[in-house]
Amino acid sequence: MPLQMQTIVALNAVEPMQVDAPPEDNDNNEEESYIVENPSLDLEVYANSYSGLAKLYRLIFIIDHCPSLRLEALKMAISYVMTTYNVNLYQVLHQKLAEVTTQMSVPDVAATSTSQDIPVIDNLWMETRSKKAALKLEKLDNDLKSYKSNSIKESIRRGHDDLGEHYLDCGDLSNALKCFSRARDYCTSGKHVVNMCLNVIKVSVYLQNWSHVLSYVSKAESTPDFTEAQTKDSNQVIVTKLKCAAGLAELATKKYKSAAKHFLQANLDHCDFPELLSPNNVAMYGGLCALATFDRHELQKNVIFSSSFKLFLELEPQLRDIIFKFYESKYASCLKLLDEIKDNLLLDMYIAPHINTLYTQIRNRALIQYFSPYLSADMHKMAIAFNRTVPALEDELMQLILDGQIQARIDSHNKILFAKDVDQRSTTFERSLLMGKEYQRRTRMLILRAAVLKSKIHVKSPQRDTSGQSGEVTVAPGTSSVLSARN
Amino acid sequence: MASVLEQFVTTVRTLSSHGNYKVLCEYLSKSSDILLKNTQHLDNVLETLDLQQHSLGYLVVLCAKFNSTVPANTPDNRFAQVQEFIHGCNGEQIRLAPDTFAELCHSLTNYLVEQKQPMKGILLLRKAISKLRFFDSQLTSIHADLCQLCLLAKCFKPALEILDTDITGICQEIVHNPNGAQFEAKYFLLYYYYGGMIYLAVRNLDRALYFFEVAITTPAHAVSHIMLEAYKKYIIVSLLLHGKIQPVPKYASQVVTRFIKPLSQPYNDLANSFTSNNTADLNAVLNKHREAFTRDHNLGLVKQVSSVLYKKNIQRLTKTFLTLSLSDVASRVGLPGPSDAERYILHMIEDQQIYATINQKDGMVVFRDEPEKYGGPDVLKSLEAQLAICMELDKQILAMDEDIQVNPVYVKKSSGVQDEEQPSKSTYAM
Amino acid sequence: MVSSNIEKLAEDLEKQELEAQNGIASPQVYEQLLAIYLYENDLCNAKYLWKRIPASVKSSTPELNNIWAVAQHMWKRDFPGIYKALNAVTWSDGVANIMKQVQDRVRNRSVDLIAQAYSSITLDTVSAMTGLPPDICATACVERGWQVEADTRMVHPVRPTPQTSGQTSSEDQLYKLTDFVSFLEN
Repeated sequence: MPLQMQTIVALNAVEPMQVDAPPEDNDNNEEESYIVENPSLDLEVYANSYSGLAKLYRLIFIIDHCPSLRLEALKMAISYVMTTYNVNLYQVLHQKLAEVTTQMSVPDVAATSTSQDIPVIDNLWMETRSKKAALKLEKLDNDLKSYKSNSIKESIRRGHDDLGEHYLDCGDLSNALKCFSRARDYCTSGKHVVNMCLNVIKVSVYLQNWSHVLSYVSKAESTPDFTEAQTKDSNQVIVTKLKCAAGLAELATKKYKSAAKHFLQANLDHCDFPELLSPNNVAMYGGLCALATFDRHELQKNVIFSSSFKLFLELEPQLRDIIFKFYESKYASCLKLLDEIKDNLLLDMYIAPHINTLYTQIRNRALIQYFSPYLSADMHKMAIAFNRTVPALEDELMQLILDGQIQARIDSHNKILFAKDVDQRSTTFERSLLMGKEYQRRTRMLILRAAVLKSKIHVKSPQRDTSGQSGEVTVAPGTSSVLSARN
Repeated sequence: MASVLEQFVTTVRTLSSHGNYKVLCEYLSKSSDILLKNTQHLDNVLETLDLQQHSLGYLVVLCAKFNSTVPANTPDNRFAQVQEFIHGCNGEQIRLAPDTFAELCHSLTNYLVEQKQPMKGILLLRKAISKLRFFDSQLTSIHADLCQLCLLAKCFKPALEILDTDITGICQEIVHNPNGAQFEAKYFLLYYYYGGMIYLAVRNLDRALYFFEVAITTPAHAVSHIMLEAYKKYIIVSLLLHGKIQPVPKYASQVVTRFIKPLSQPYNDLANSFTSNNTADLNAVLNKHREAFTRDHNLGLVKQVSSVLYKKNIQRLTKTFLTLSLSDVASRVGLPGPSDAERYILHMIEDQQIYATINQKDGMVVFRDEPEKYGGPDVLKSLEAQLAICMELDKQILAMDEDIQVNPVYVKKSSGVQDEEQPSKSTYAM
Repeated sequence: MVSSNIEKLAEDLEKQELEAQNGIASPQVYEQLLAIYLYENDLCNAKYLWKRIPASVKSSTPELNNIWAVAQHMWKRDFPGIYKALNAVTWSDGVANIMKQVQDRVRNRSVDLIAQAYSSITLDTVSAMTGLPPDICATACVERGWQVEADTRMVHPVRPTPQTSGQTSSEDQLYKLTDFVSFLEN
């Protein structure tokens, strides 16, 4: 059974490529898997906005979540992976393909026409490719060794970078990261440092090591030469790239507001790094995060009137409409448009885990904004404005009131929402009395603790414990009946 | 009577009459072997001693009686003897041998537990505590015994008087210790664990939580079962009182977070489902861990938690609604029907947990704000009372601070360090 | 004052129980103490007292069981049950007086609760909660100034206004105030 053997090897080999492994510092891994049925995505255009592993990872995400695009995405991914040295990924993709084709062929054996353009696993290619990769690795390694023996700093740095690039091409992220990081010791100018940071950031993004991303972004930004030469064109690209990487890291760690702020600083003219993000991504991530976290004033100033971000919004006209509708308080159509783009967003590997949270936050913000000028509001009208039934709206409002986001109470009898005025005087009384009680409790505890420490009371060896336990056990039956009988 | 015992009696008498108690204590601590070898004659020894004048000698003999088995065909008169002794003994003398006196009380407690007559010992132990302690707020290990007896007898009022006094000092009972006088941690933990259970039984949840918190923050290098049980109850009381787990203070030993928390998983699950406000979830957790809760004898408490969740959810409703129909209340909090909702609301109104009016005509509830509470002389009075307590506590802290400031060891240490660094300025800094 | 008398009696009885030979007090002590706990609406202590009364005493004193039956209904706040249990038996001289007062107290409590908790309530519910027949209830309600709708048999209770207690002397207050200020200043 050579084939099965091979797949097992392939599975194990996947290990360094962390796409399926749980990401390090966010807890999205609990996200259940879902299926997107009806995307309106143009896969060709989408895939062309990315290069390198970014393209492959994004295609794999679609393969895993969208049956209707699965085959097409697989074909694209396989043809693209053949331009790299990433033999492991090639195997993985073929394995996925095998799953898809068997599924397809079972219900409809006759449909052979499609099977013609389905790529077949090419063992020869794999063999030669692996050999080539090994040869290249050996060469680069030897080069580096000779540079080192000559101790020419600049050559050593480049040698490390080249080696890193090669590892990246092979899909070996951890070694790539090591090489790029080692280059750090041979940097002779600020430019080199920034370059090293960008390399590390790129690999860290692929590894989803977001804290690493953020620390290298700030490292790059604090490099002296970099801050001086801000105005230069090449620097603009770097600035935008750093902002986008930071935004992505903040997004992944659920810090939506600072994510929005980072994305909003991007510049469209210098937004060209397909191995990381597309300009459309920047628009979408920045726009949605801003909508979910900015207040009305911030939204107006930083998004709607921002000349630079306006250009990004032109790339995503639907998003632009959503933001403007929101700003014009046309919540029903805003929410409807949001629902329309949801399927496509769910196929985006970075924003998909946050879509539900962001949508809820946007909705809540809309509800709060809607009610803010009123003393009382008719819930029937409000329900129409928000495309909801009255009971569903009531539930949503209830949550917002409990969270303290809306100061109001619901008259469920007449379906009216009343603003609630807080009696400052009595809440102050309440709070200060509570504070007094808390002080008393803590002080008592403090006095007691001082006595405990003074008499050096502490639970020591396990032997003492067991004696303590036996004393307790003798009592337990009696006390238990005391307690359990009370309801 | 054997001659060794005669010699024992004479020594006790002479040393007592000379007031040479230090030497006497020393002598007595070595004489328990003699007494244990001659158990049949101990009553005779007691007859020759006066319990007021020779309290220390009397005490040691009584202890020996508890440490040996009662000789056959003699009546067991130990309880009566101890009773007489505790009432009549000389407090000054027995405070010189606190460990022996406490040991006697522990023995008596065990004896009464075995005899299933805990009620008999309650008043006696209270008397014993008042004899042993130097001041009212001093903790002795007999405190734990008293609480144990009260719990077993299901009679809590006598213990409450003791429990309500906040402890400010601890009796150094183990006097013969190479590392200086000490107090056994076991009795400290037991006191706060039992005390917490008593407060729980009389529904003083605030105090119960305080007691369990003391138990779980006791310095520890090892996991104590008492602490583990206290932690479980701490979670439950926390939920009953505050609706969520109160954070464990930072100064708690690491064993709490490292070992005790993982050992109380069912309780953490309970707390998580409680904070989700979903009664169905909570009941599912309850059923899933029913065995564990029953084993810990906490099932009754856990059931209370589930009943409190209904009330908590009704309270949440009062924060969000002005009016609501009874059937809506029932469906929102997961009660079977409007009449159940009415019953819950009625109880909560009576207990002043919510402010609401039921309208039976329309089947509606109107939730009201709390009535104007902070006006009038009553408020002033309670404020004054609270302030007085705070000021008193503050004074206490200041006094403790002063004590430390003038403590020779402290002065030496703190000035010593400064001397090395800045010899000239340190005097001013102090 | 009846209540202070009862308080003193309770203390006395509690002491008697603690000092009893072999830890078992006389049935009278248990009966009275249990009844007093009910009077004080101290159901927790009533419950533990019931639990610690030896089974032999319980079986030889049927009246104890009758008092406990009342307590159980009180625990469940089942008003009709309380009145039923209270009036089902003739109480012995030792507890008759206390049990009578228990009934009065429970009734007062329920009237207060009705005034607190209801803006409209059926006459039947009032009758059940007070243990009085509907016609007597109706007149009693009118006496308290509660409006009774004859056709719908609905009662509209009036919420009592909270009583304010007497003022303390201003001198005393001034004294306390100086105390606070001097505390804060130091």
